[in-house]
Amino acid sequence: MSTAEKTIQDAHALEGAPVLVGRPDDRALTESLLAPVLGPTRKGWLLLLVALLGGVGFWTLSLVTTLFVGIGAWGNNIPVAWAFDITNFVWWIGIGHAGTLISAILLLFQQKWRTSINRFAEAMTLFAVAMAGVYPVIHLGRPWLFWWLIPYPSTNLIWPNFKSALPWDVFAISTYATVSFLFWYLGLIPDLATLRDAARTRGRRIVYGIMSFGWRGSARHWRHYRIGYLLLAGLSTPLVVSVHTIVSFDFAISQLPGWHTTIFPPYFVAGAIFSGFAMVMTLMIPARRLLGYQHVVTERHLDNMAKVILATGLMVFYGYMMEWFMAWYSGSSAEAFAFLNRFQGPYRGIFIAQMFCNVVSPQILWFPSMRRNEYVLFLVAILVNIGMWAERFVIIAVSLHRDFIPSSWGMYYPTWVDWGLFLGSICTFGVLFLLFLRFLPAIPLFEVKELRRELEHYGENAHPGSEEEG
Amino acid sequence: MKAYVLGEFEREQPLYEAARTLRAHGHEQLDIHSPYPLHEADHALGLKRSTVPIVALVAGVTGALTGYLLQWYTVGHDWPLNVGNRPPHSAPAFIPVTFELGVLFAALAIFVGLLGGYFGFPRTHHPVFEVEAFRSASIDGLWLSAEVEGKDAEGVAQELRRLGARNVSIVPEAK
Repeated sequence: MSTAEKTIQDAHALEGAPVLVGRPDDRALTESLLAPVLGPTRKGWLLLLVALLGGVGFWTLSLVTTLFVGIGAWGNNIPVAWAFDITNFVWWIGIGHAGTLISAILLLFQQKWRTSINRFAEAMTLFAVAMAGVYPVIHLGRPWLFWWLIPYPSTNLIWPNFKSALPWDVFAISTYATVSFLFWYLGLIPDLATLRDAARTRGRRIVYGIMSFGWRGSARHWRHYRIGYLLLAGLSTPLVVSVHTIVSFDFAISQLPGWHTTIFPPYFVAGAIFSGFAMVMTLMIPARRLLGYQHVVTERHLDNMAKVILATGLMVFYGYMMEWFMAWYSGSSAEAFAFLNRFQGPYRGIFIAQMFCNVVSPQILWFPSMRRNEYVLFLVAILVNIGMWAERFVIIAVSLHRDFIPSSWGMYYPTWVDWGLFLGSICTFGVLFLLFLRFLPAIPLFEVKELRRELEHYGENAHPGSEEEG
Repeated sequence: MKAYVLGEFEREQPLYEAARTLRAHGHEQLDIHSPYPLHEADHALGLKRSTVPIVALVAGVTGALTGYLLQWYTVGHDWPLNVGNRPPHSAPAFIPVTFELGVLFAALAIFVGLLGGYFGFPRTHHPVFEVEAFRSASIDGLWLSAEVEGKDAEGVAQELRRLGARNVSIVPEAK
């Protein structure tokens, strides 16, 4: 055996579990992947939907209360003018970022394992951004005037202040939501055509037929489609980094101790990916089992996602350490106090939870056996979700409640409306996700079929780009 | 009157061979339909490079210029706003919106351009959909379609059968 062959074999052994179990033909793949959409409604799905709709009710009630009473219905005050609302906003936006990372950045890096989870992750992005977008709007106080944020020649004779980070946010978030939707829908079109052709009832054929715009799998279309899809991925990659960078500018550009640091942009982006992968894991582990997707979302996927969580978790920890170091090294007493206050102040419980969930709990993922254990992964994913929410609360509310002068100190306690807007948004997100799983193909059919063809022709370790010259 | 001749192939190689043969016979209005993109189909049909990147580039540059000019006009020129004594026209502060609008315009141009321009969508009725068996084109089938003159249709259908196609059908284009 030549050295080259030996290397290939070793690489194969390192790869571990396959990205696609077995080699089902295209028809079998289509049938198994569309079963949750074309099959009958499952009882568990319906029960879960009804349960989550209760949460949507709570969310709606909290929203309506906010609209009628105003933001006085929240626990926000001066000095803690930003609390649950902005914490939830940053948390949801961060969760969304993992979807773009999986669908765009991993596509550009030609990571084959992303194929089966990208649609799922993109849907998560869309719904997370939809949830995030609500908070800044209702926080305006008079949300029905939200269009004042848009620069148009109004009778107010005033323009948005483009030198502030908040109007940047308006452009960043609306661009991100739009581009994520376009990317997701473009990927869906060939699969909607498959649904149209595989559906048995006339109603579904018409609805999916309209949604797929008349896609006929033409080679003359595919060649533009491929390039367009790749370009959208290429555009999304710097976009996702810019969005969380701009979100972090909301804080970093101010002078508040705990906010005023240059490490925020990279540290926020790493945290976003960390929390987003945790959310993909939280949703994927039950979904793959309930919907019978184990042959396309394999141990290999869970293992890889766990590694990303571990790596980004360490980056986030590095961010924490740098913040502490700078608080000491800067010699600024206000800065040093802000960080001591996180350890010792009235909200130290939340800080301890943040450290345990984000720094300690992912370390178990160093063990390969733990990365293959669904229960451990699910638990770590939930803890990271909690930890990242705690991190944003610590950055936002805890920094605000003790600033430079003790006379301007205060405390923040959430009201039931704050809890409703937070927990209710999780239920609303869940409802949107359940509807997605029932009515749209959650696993990208055409990409999995393409992957199957590639694996057959070139094997697990081949470079998919190598056929380009063919 | 034009007609569409359709044929389904079991494997990729005979499909490309058939496309090349028909092109050699002077039929240029060919298309291959498959559930996933096939790189070789571009070669078999003799398709040129896609021009989508140019569209995206033009739109992206337009978007970025729009973003910059919008900010310069509103807070730098029309109503100079003094915040923190920064100059009215402060380029570094204009970078984020410039970038975001560039991306937004490029993405919209790609999406709308692909669907409306390159694909001619929405077009939910197309002669190829007249064939019931064509449903497999989005599931597991590889299809070749040829748009030919009505009088040539029968000959092309014979040729396709000879080249190994099954489910060969002729769809006359309704006037």
